[in-house]
Amino acid sequence: MIDVNIRDLTIEYASGGYVVRPIHHLDLRVASGELALLLGASGSGKTTVLSALAAILRPAAGTIRVGDVDVTGLRGAALTEYRRHRVGVVFQAFNLVPSLTARDNVQTPLWAARMPTRQARQRAEELLDRVGLGDRLAHRPGDLSGGQQQRVAIARALAHDPPLVLADEPTAHLDYIQVEGVLRLLRELAEPGRIVVVATHDERLLPLADRIVHLSPAATAESRPPQRLQYQPGQLVFEQGAHSDLVYVIEDGQIEVVRQRADGTEELLALHGPGRYFGELGPLFGLQRSATARAVDHAVLTGYTPRDFQELVGSGRIAEAIKRASS
Amino acid sequence: MWRVALRDLQWRRRRFVIAVLATSLVFGMTLLMTGFSTSLHNEGRRIVAALGADAWLVAAGAPGPFTTSTPIPAGDADRVAGMPGVIRADPLVILHSTIRQPAVRDVNVIGARLGGLGTPPLASGRVVARTGEVVADTELGLRLGDRVELSGRQLQVVGLADQVTWFFGTPTLFLALQDAQAVAFDGQPLAMAILTQGVPRTAAPNLEVLSNQQARADLERPLVRGAQSIDFISALLWLVAAGIIGSIVYLSALERLREFAVLKATGASNRSLLVGLALQAVILSATAAVLAAGIARLLAPMFPFTVEVPPLAFPRLVVVAMLVGLAASAAGLQRAVSVQPALAFGGP
Repeated sequence: MIDVNIRDLTIEYASGGYVVRPIHHLDLRVASGELALLLGASGSGKTTVLSALAAILRPAAGTIRVGDVDVTGLRGAALTEYRRHRVGVVFQAFNLVPSLTARDNVQTPLWAARMPTRQARQRAEELLDRVGLGDRLAHRPGDLSGGQQQRVAIARALAHDPPLVLADEPTAHLDYIQVEGVLRLLRELAEPGRIVVVATHDERLLPLADRIVHLSPAATAESRPPQRLQYQPGQLVFEQGAHSDLVYVIEDGQIEVVRQRADGTEELLALHGPGRYFGELGPLFGLQRSATARAVDHAVLTGYTPRDFQELVGSGRIAEAIKRASS
Repeated sequence: MWRVALRDLQWRRRRFVIAVLATSLVFGMTLLMTGFSTSLHNEGRRIVAALGADAWLVAAGAPGPFTTSTPIPAGDADRVAGMPGVIRADPLVILHSTIRQPAVRDVNVIGARLGGLGTPPLASGRVVARTGEVVADTELGLRLGDRVELSGRQLQVVGLADQVTWFFGTPTLFLALQDAQAVAFDGQPLAMAILTQGVPRTAAPNLEVLSNQQARADLERPLVRGAQSIDFISALLWLVAAGIIGSIVYLSALERLREFAVLKATGASNRSLLVGLALQAVILSATAAVLAAGIARLLAPMFPFTVEVPPLAFPRLVVVAMLVGLAASAAGLQRAVSVQPALAFGGP
């Protein structure tokens, strides 16, 4: 029996000269036999988590354990062994090799692992039979429908019977008839001894899941009493890449808003004093924080939910704030 | 992973065939250039060997028997024949001229003493036995009994000799010494060189002794620039072939980046991807080289002189072509290695 344990995972990369953290302090546990759904909008880090689980992307911080394997610590032969035998990936848009037949596509991971030709062929045929494509062995991807290609991709992911199967947007390029077959197949894969993790923005998949992880929480519409918050000099109000919840109004003190550059330095975006508000765009649109806010001296802030903030300043001021931020 | 590379070649077979055809034409040209170069060297070697001398004596300070403008008395041959180490010595006249009958052709002319050194091996007929007779190169297309006109003198073909050309396939006429002296020196008893059987052990006054190697170098010297140009063009053609192979492999690598990323993400090693791509380059080069051999054989007879592609040049071309193909595909290989498997997670 295996399970997946993700602890305090942070993944960052450089983009446009700045540090981007699509995943910030993520914790997740998925038990054997479960199907976990990573739900979120584009850019929310779903695929990034899958890449890290597939040991293709190395996180900046945190740990990923799949069974007794510390994925984040894998190097060299152990990394190749993990990719070959412990994890199978169903890529977005299928990503089949166009020059190969369905059977050969399924065989590629087996060839990479130097499985004897006859054995690899037999295994590929078994898997294609299992996904209902026993009569399409010699067809190239171009001769298959989207749903059939996706099933070939699933068969390829199962080549080594891995305990962890990852699927990236498995329904993105399928019509509703094809979606049905693929969903059924993914659900069947989540059986004791195997975990399936699906990244999607398609909420139709929700009933499929044993566990759902929202990577980009929707902008909250709730109203709750304003929070009065106090910060010491240098203390963080929020960090770049973190999820957003509150909009802040400065009662006292000064707040600096900085953006972390890829080279480790910081760019000062704004210095706000009493009466000003900041951090409004993230919570309003359900985005992660695009900058870090820090108290310059002793600061007193009031935190509002986006709904309360909108009521406080009016929609005209919000539109003005958006224009100011984008200019 | 080599199977993936082979399937990819099948998949892109139209592009592969075009690349093979283009590369084979270029390789074919390099083979022909090699043939030109070989022919130039072989001509010199053959003509010097055909004259049957052990040593050549020319006027002191003259560059050699084929390019000298300083004739020597033909009678010196008798003096040389008496020198230690010399078994026999005969005068030789060498010149360039034109024949007017049956058509105007440039020819090399060699005049040798009847029954003496300077007579080539014959393909048919007999040697020149008297003045007014000639042994002609088969390259001229003459038959035994034909008549040729050389500087107003009518000569009858009594023998034919094979492959006795020099200066880019210019055919040779072998005459009696007197006939050649009549054409070159208005009948004066002069010669360009004295051929000897045996090598003189002492220095002859006013004469310089040259070996066959030196005589050949004298013949090839005027052709050096031509030969260098041929070698230079040959090198350029190799570059063109490398460019074709390199660009095809690089383009293939660029188009297959996502595929490489997927293969890496599913456990394929960098080395296996490299082997696959290198295999494509080698197959392309080797196929083009084999086809080039056929192209060269087909085109060689169309040239106005014999193009002698040495037999070893064919296997050498295949081996060198594969090495060039590998070297040329380095950029594509590098591109494949640098692909990040994370690219596999991208959308369409």
